[in-house]
Amino acid sequence: MKGLPLLILTIFLFSCQTLPLINAPVSPAEEKALTCPSPFLKEKYRLVHAIETRVAGKTQSTIIGVTLADPYTRFISCAIMTAEGMVMFEADSDHGAIKVNRALPPLDSADFAKNMIEDIKLIFFAPGGKIQKKGILSDGATACRYHEENGDWIDVITNKLEGTTIKRYSSFGTLKRQIKFNKTSGNIYQSIELQANETFNYSLLMTLIEAQPVESESLQKE
Amino acid sequence: MQARCKLYTFVCIITCIFLVLGLLNYAGANDFEQLRKDSANIKTIQAHFVQKKSMKILSRPLISEGRFYYAAPDSLRWEYFKPIRSIVIAYKNNTKRYITSGGKMVEDKTGGAQAMKIVLNEVAGWMSGKYDQNPSFAATINEEANTRITLTPTEKSMTGMIEKIEILLSKKSATVKSVKIIESANNFTQINFDNVEINKAINPSIFQDAQ
Repeated sequence: MKGLPLLILTIFLFSCQTLPLINAPVSPAEEKALTCPSPFLKEKYRLVHAIETRVAGKTQSTIIGVTLADPYTRFISCAIMTAEGMVMFEADSDHGAIKVNRALPPLDSADFAKNMIEDIKLIFFAPGGKIQKKGILSDGATACRYHEENGDWIDVITNKLEGTTIKRYSSFGTLKRQIKFNKTSGNIYQSIELQANETFNYSLLMTLIEAQPVESESLQKE
Repeated sequence: MQARCKLYTFVCIITCIFLVLGLLNYAGANDFEQLRKDSANIKTIQAHFVQKKSMKILSRPLISEGRFYYAAPDSLRWEYFKPIRSIVIAYKNNTKRYITSGGKMVEDKTGGAQAMKIVLNEVAGWMSGKYDQNPSFAATINEEANTRITLTPTEKSMTGMIEKIEILLSKKSATVKSVKIIESANNFTQINFDNVEINKAINPSIFQDAQ
């Protein structure tokens, strides 16, 4: 019995992971020169992507995703449809409130809508939390770490050779999402890879079909 | 989801078969009986199509293009070239869907083949000209300036998925003007066919090879 607390403590310690170490710039001049990567939308945009879903590295299906996103108001409207044009899911997120307009099974769970909106925010919007650290990772990449209101950590990382990556960690340091922008030049949203670490891990490969800026007035009307 | 996707795919196919059949002699027909007679002569159909998807979130329709093949009694190929390539092939009671991955066509692993088979049986009924005898849809014809055929789902499984399908036939030219698959007021798909070829030989590999 005496060993039980120790066992629990051991399990707890092993279940907690540590966030990658970000080394602070060595001089104030270096710190000043260090710019946080920002692969996020700078204006309101409508994007259409072909989305390939993969489980255990094998392609399962391909769908079309439409995203309408305003980085200023953080308003999101999104839809998922099949290649044949059938809309499986349609929802809006305004000031944190999610309104599902259409959801066919199995995309009709509250969790699906919430997770999808969170993933869209992670890809297209700058983190809402405060910046906690900025510096250099052990591989030389520039990284900025944000602390979200819900306790999650978001690292935005850029590497000259590998491009930009966003990583979302739980408050315990467990990696939950990894977003990789595969294009280092041109439209950064041309090819995006999302790796989700859930009960069943999956990945999404998003290939841009079309993108267009949206006029402020028309977005309001929509 | 996949079963419903496949069902929707085949609703598209059913609709397209219906409209292509309508190309033959529909101008003179005043009821479904004429269509039934016309369909008996169909051995093959092939056509190019353009699909326009309209919904509130899109400022302009999303355009898809593809090609459709049919060979009596039950071989089908419904292929999209863009914006993403996908193929549904039905051949000898075996139905598969293929999607592109890494430049190759791979089989859609998410299932739904059983649902596709069920719907394929319905397609066979339509191919026999029994448009108004399919219990899954209530069919009506309205003779106006053009002829409008409306198909309304009758089964609960389609509730919330498809509101209705409208097929508009031109009386003058005996051609299909439009086909609309309406999911809701702001959400519909329009498919237009061109280069329709009836009873032209189709290489059997079209129904066997996804490449």
